[in-house]
Amino acid sequence: MEERKLNEKESLELISQMIKNTQQKLERHNGMPFLVWGYASFFVSVLIWTLLKNSQDYHWQFLWFLIPIIGFPTMMFFLKKEDAGVKTYIDKIISYIWMGFGVAGFVVSAAAIFYWNIPILFIVLLLMSTGTAITGLVIQFKPLIISGFLCILLSFACLVVKGFDAILIFALVFLLMMVVPGHILNYKNKKNNV
Amino acid sequence: MFKELDPLLHSELRLAVMSILISVESADFVYIKETTKATAGNLSVQIDKLSEAGYIEVERGFLGKRTRTVCKITPKGVEAFNNYVEALKGYLNIE
Repeated sequence: MEERKLNEKESLELISQMIKNTQQKLERHNGMPFLVWGYASFFVSVLIWTLLKNSQDYHWQFLWFLIPIIGFPTMMFFLKKEDAGVKTYIDKIISYIWMGFGVAGFVVSAAAIFYWNIPILFIVLLLMSTGTAITGLVIQFKPLIISGFLCILLSFACLVVKGFDAILIFALVFLLMMVVPGHILNYKNKKNNV
Repeated sequence: MFKELDPLLHSELRLAVMSILISVESADFVYIKETTKATAGNLSVQIDKLSEAGYIEVERGFLGKRTRTVCKITPKGVEAFNNYVEALKGYLNIE
């Protein structure tokens, strides 16, 4: 493409072509953040459940902080690696949604260190599944919408199940809420690229 | 009476850059270069012209060790683009 004058019809065609090209390139959404947070939450939860079951030592609960310690650097690494060079308005909205839910989740988790009565597993699941459902609605991806709303309901299981086994429920819900739709999203992208 | 077409936008590469930026939040130099299939030198000159006119904002930074130029359309650029499209409609008799 060069710097040349266009006639009016060519101008309109060029505008429509550029917008169309950009939209086609950006229709793909990445399942990577869901996989990173989903797997990190699942494996850390299973690890904590195993340690608590075997030792009954509550200090293992501090291992929950492994989730952000693993999640943030891994996500930043993949975001840099897979940077498409362009940011859409939808990307911006999604990052704001997760900023809000992430801060809320972190504040509640930190508060739970001092206030043991907070049903932390239930609250975190409710926040994350709501974030997942909203993300699904924004990018119009059915598996995320379904898993998000389904997991809003399933989060109540953490109120019903008592003791350490609630952690196992927490792990399984994360698998269903983020890992499954994350893989479906990546599979769909791969299929569309072929 | 036909409205005058903005001479800054009535050029193939500058119009292509503006058309990309109108539909996204921001885009980097490499992305725009690949989408428009322009040469780096020419694209750089046209981006500077759009930036000098206040139609786009250009932010130069780093992504790891690589330099990265990110472009974003400004409110003035959006208005100019809308006016340009309106003027085009007049020429092409589109309501």
